[in-house]
Amino acid sequence: MNRIFQLSIIFLFSMSILFGCKQEKEYQYVFEVNEENLYLSNVEKTKQKTPEQYISILYSNLFSTTVPQQDLSQLAEVRVSIGDKQMADEMILNDFVNSGNASTPTNQEMRASIDQFIEDTYIRFFLRKPSPYEVLELKQEIEGDAELTPEMIYQAFALSNEYKFY
Amino acid sequence: MKRRNFIKKAGLAAAGTIGVPYILPTGRLFAATGSRVVNHVVYVLFAGGIRNQESVGQQFLMNQNASLPEGNVMNNMLTGAAPSSNAIHDPWAPVLNTPMMEQGTLFKEVLYKNGPTGHYNGHTVAMTGNYTETGLNLNINPDFPTIFEYYRKHSDPNESAMNAWWISEGLGPYPSLNYSQSNSYGAQYGANYLRPQSILGNAGQSQLGNAVSYQPDDVNRINRIKNILDNNFAQAGEQLPGIQNTPENREQIKNFLLQKIEDAANGNLEVATPGNNQNLLTGDLINISAAWQVMDEFTPELTVINTTNLDVCHDNFSAYLYYLHRADYGIGWLWNKIQSHPVLANDTIMVCMPEHGRNLDRNNIVDANGLGAYDHTGDDNSRRVFTMIVGPDDKVVQGQALGSPNNPVAESIDVVPTIAHILGFKDSVPSNLMPGRVLEEALI
Repeated sequence: MNRIFQLSIIFLFSMSILFGCKQEKEYQYVFEVNEENLYLSNVEKTKQKTPEQYISILYSNLFSTTVPQQDLSQLAEVRVSIGDKQMADEMILNDFVNSGNASTPTNQEMRASIDQFIEDTYIRFFLRKPSPYEVLELKQEIEGDAELTPEMIYQAFALSNEYKFY
Repeated sequence: MKRRNFIKKAGLAAAGTIGVPYILPTGRLFAATGSRVVNHVVYVLFAGGIRNQESVGQQFLMNQNASLPEGNVMNNMLTGAAPSSNAIHDPWAPVLNTPMMEQGTLFKEVLYKNGPTGHYNGHTVAMTGNYTETGLNLNINPDFPTIFEYYRKHSDPNESAMNAWWISEGLGPYPSLNYSQSNSYGAQYGANYLRPQSILGNAGQSQLGNAVSYQPDDVNRINRIKNILDNNFAQAGEQLPGIQNTPENREQIKNFLLQKIEDAANGNLEVATPGNNQNLLTGDLINISAAWQVMDEFTPELTVINTTNLDVCHDNFSAYLYYLHRADYGIGWLWNKIQSHPVLANDTIMVCMPEHGRNLDRNNIVDANGLGAYDHTGDDNSRRVFTMIVGPDDKVVQGQALGSPNNPVAESIDVVPTIAHILGFKDSVPSNLMPGRVLEEALI
């Protein structure tokens, strides 16, 4: 089994434990991921995810569970029904993030602890910790733009080149 | 100035005038060569396998039993009296005051000359202008370039995917028809593809219904963060296979689709049924209705849509007549909508053609009304189709009908070069790629 699936299983197991007992800080689940399984650097990511891997891992990252079969079937139908696959993926991601079911911190929570949010988000999507420079860059963006929401940041992470690789 | 110099300079000036593009009152930039007949073409693959007997032949039930009535069930497209009695379907009043047949030219007998009479193959022939031998519904892009690729590559300047749409009733192999495997053409010249039944139906409403339309400022925010992340990662993901819209066009289409998903969920979508009754929709009518939404919003120059419900004729002749009547209504409704659109009216030509016909002889299946069914296995009758070309009366010959059962006057492969001619790029396409001819008899 390759590394990304090992990490996903660990990740999901951690989710179930954390969500069962820490409702008030549910976005801070990432600390349950064993740090030994995190990437040390993004240069370790050399393989591009298939479209199927991308959608199913994205779903797991956002909803902390595997994709139900019916949803998977409908997602496949939606994807084949739109010719521009980049557009289809962006619309699916948009729906995931804005569904109200994704475990997303509120804007207020994000801004109350920006450093923590950034580290959590890097671990959640990139399975690695951010460098100090990466924290600084993103923190400046969040602090400089009151209308930048966690949902938009999640979408940026999921659309980034690094997220397409493992 | 010496006479010889004058003639030389005058000649150069004239050549320059012809060669330099000019701007028409519509704002569109044209090269003077390869002028267009109109700026918009809608190509309806009136598909699912339709026999000429029940369409242009207007024979209704008489082939089932000589004592049963004949008559016209396509009262929007064709001129002709309705059946004197009708036990098969509840007829809808026509949406058009003047049948389309009188608003253009009907090639009553068109030959699908070579290759298997399968739906995918028939679509491929109709959309590439080349006969092929692909007999199976393989989910692969065709070998020959499609009309979309010719249009986008050879129009001057090149056209964006926003101007070319392929909108299909079904999935299966049909999504593969928006571009070919050709090395010289391919996805970069392909059309936007859409299957409205999925996007506006359960799958789309369930999986896209929560997506929100971001304002441009919010899109910029997302892209700004993405760029920061990308700057810290050395690799760029390979582009996904298929067509790519520009980022601006992609946002426009996303917002459009999200609005239509919401409209469909709320029953507010304008649809091709009498009284806008959503309960009367068939799959074909959903497709036609959604195609109109695309045309109304983006006014594409080349739109190709299809129907497929008529394939029920394999085991239900009554339902085949029902769907034939409904699809005819949808086509009439679409043509009527075009005539009231500020950009499309008087600047659009519609071409309608089945992808292939059906057999002369019935199979062994009898429906609930005791009527025999028909397959399409490649006999001479299944190679008979019709082609209708309708448009403005100063562009398309009106009220003309050509051909008869034993006198085919065109072939299935002729529509692609005809559209290329209408949109002004035919002469730029290598001649060996388009073996068909322009159906000039229909054009003024």
